[in-house]
Amino acid sequence: MNAPPQKAIVQVTRRFSATAERVFDAWLDPNTAGKWLFATPTGRMSKVEIDARVGGSYLIVENRDGADVEHIGKYLEIDRPRRLVFTLKVPKYSQEITTVTIEIRALDSGCELTLTHEGVLPDYVASTTSGWKMILDQFAATL
Amino acid sequence: MPRAAAPPQSTWIALADPTRRSILERLSRGEARVTELARPYSMSLNAVSKHIRVLERARLIRRRRAGRDHFLSFNPDPLTGAAAWIAAQRSLWMSRLDALDALLQAEDAATARAAKRKDKSR
Repeated sequence: MNAPPQKAIVQVTRRFSATAERVFDAWLDPNTAGKWLFATPTGRMSKVEIDARVGGSYLIVENRDGADVEHIGKYLEIDRPRRLVFTLKVPKYSQEITTVTIEIRALDSGCELTLTHEGVLPDYVASTTSGWKMILDQFAATL
Repeated sequence: MPRAAAPPQSTWIALADPTRRSILERLSRGEARVTELARPYSMSLNAVSKHIRVLERARLIRRRRAGRDHFLSFNPDPLTGAAAWIAAQRSLWMSRLDALDALLQAEDAATARAAKRKDKSR
């Protein structure tokens, strides 16, 4: 049997009444991103640093119950307002580096955002190149 | 934030292959002998047996022996863990996107209020 799969994919789609540009910018503007991205209802945002260029990094730190939870990553693709790809690591929970892809499609009114979070499952970090992708919905439909 | 544990890698390996998914789909309709399972596929019995072994290692199928016959059946339990993990990740992102939408709508409402005040003050 050949190389095993190593990725699990989670995909969600949501519509917004705001324009594609505003929804896109909300991911990269530190003032906006700090208010919702990786924010939890009881947490307190303590640091939002965003270097919004390809190869640039971000660091978003929220204090939850007295402990800092860091979200760190790099921007891989920035194509305003259609597509944004960045890596994500949350060291408090896992050493795993995952990839998040945001695709935004303008509608007559507002836009539709599709988010794909590609996680390398534990134990597979060493062999990430050969790969298959399992789309959640296919998986659900087959089973 | 509590996180559901990731499913074991064997579950993902097993589900990665379309033949194995179709074997599972067949077994979800009732137990079957290995030879019956192999019939619809254009591959050797040996190749099908390999797929079955992968599914057994992932505990997605059970084997029951009755004399010389081996009957296979579907065990959905490992999928519950995989599904729970995916559902937890999905709901996490959904709640973030909900927060984004709420934020943008609040901005719009604030802009509208400011415009109204401006109109009145004219």
